[in-house]
Amino acid sequence: MGGPGAGGPTGSGVPFRRAAGYLRAVATFRLQGSKVLAVDLTGDTVKAKNGSMVAYDGQMAFKKLSGGGEGLRGMVTRRLTGEQMTMMEAKGQGTCFLADRASEINLVALHGDTLYVEASNLLCADGGLRTGTSFTGLRGGASGNGLFTTTLEGSGQAAIMSDGPAVVLRVSPQYPLSVDPGAYIAHQGRLQQSFQSGVTFRTFLGEGGGEAFQIRFEGDGLVYVQPSERNTVAGDV
Amino acid sequence: MPFREVNSKMVEATLTPGQRMFSQRGAMLAYRGEVTFTPNLTGGQGGVMSMIGRRVANEAAPLMTVEGSGTVMFGHGGHHIQVIELSGDTLCVEADRLLAFDGTLTQGTLFLGSQGGVMGMVRGQVTGQGLFTTTLQGHGAVAVMAHGGMIELPITPGRPVHVDPQAYVAHHGDVRNKLSTALGWRDMVGRGSGEAFQLELSGSGAVYVQASEEKL
Repeated sequence: MGGPGAGGPTGSGVPFRRAAGYLRAVATFRLQGSKVLAVDLTGDTVKAKNGSMVAYDGQMAFKKLSGGGEGLRGMVTRRLTGEQMTMMEAKGQGTCFLADRASEINLVALHGDTLYVEASNLLCADGGLRTGTSFTGLRGGASGNGLFTTTLEGSGQAAIMSDGPAVVLRVSPQYPLSVDPGAYIAHQGRLQQSFQSGVTFRTFLGEGGGEAFQIRFEGDGLVYVQPSERNTVAGDV
Repeated sequence: MPFREVNSKMVEATLTPGQRMFSQRGAMLAYRGEVTFTPNLTGGQGGVMSMIGRRVANEAAPLMTVEGSGTVMFGHGGHHIQVIELSGDTLCVEADRLLAFDGTLTQGTLFLGSQGGVMGMVRGQVTGQGLFTTTLQGHGAVAVMAHGGMIELPITPGRPVHVDPQAYVAHHGDVRNKLSTALGWRDMVGRGSGEAFQLELSGSGAVYVQASEEKL
């Protein structure tokens, strides 16, 4: 093995990362600033949003995952639910830099639990995480996200995007949390969500406070909230 | 004269008498002291011939000359600004990304077709750079704009860096770039991964990459 990258020949797949002490089977996620995600790969794969690569060094191959890599069934489910996710698979050795429209990036570590996130807010996930779709109920309609959301299950890291730096709020059984549907981006853990409305006669007069609906989280887990609100039906009343 | 970063979207430059700098026209936000701004008809350094050269090359960004003594703050469109210090090497950057630069730097225009022939021209089209790019050479500082902030990736011999053409901002040093394609049958049937074209930069130097695939 040659030294780490120094003068090593290119194009022959020299695993210089290995020489630098990165002998790991899992991809390592690092934040470069707050808007660029650097993923160190040593021959393993990650799933990333289609076209989000901005730069890489080493050897990389990109392949589109039709239907999010969930097979034919997943593809049909996603078509039917409208929760479409265009993802690609990045495989290789080296560092891959990912970014999308200058969105802020947040790292999420999963240890066997489930992350619920909108497909449009998911930037990158470890290749070992299982993706799927789940029904969100009335909440999805109000948050401008559609009635379905994407789930990530397993152990590994994921990167989610937010408009502005996201805050992570902890929910515990004695402290439930209410979130504006337009500012919600993701949640993880054992949480029950319900939809709560503060519609009064003022709302019907067009004098509402603009906070007619909230999502209420109860249980034990984390909720990611962005400092910016999407345009939602709930935000207008 | 070094630029001082006020925050990520504003830079402050200190001027002393007899010193000159160029900035994009209208990019001044505030100044202290006796500073004059004169629109630069020729769009930068050199004489009328350089101006014609830039006009032909479509690299003629409206510039102004800033002279006097005091401090001037620059910013434009809320874009993130990065200050790049040059010490004798050449920076290649698109003219519309230039916010301000030292008057001591030599400005020039580079024909991209000269690096890589026909592929060089194709590259210019794909990256939206056009067929020409602006070069700055010498000792001094340059303030460059990018959407969403940028990171600097070093390029060392034997370890080329691949960059998404839309996220490419600038590069400096002794760097050769060529367009590499990873076109497969998937791209032909509209099922590509969106990463069919990449700029491959090799040599020694650095490339600046912005955190977004949007142009300025």
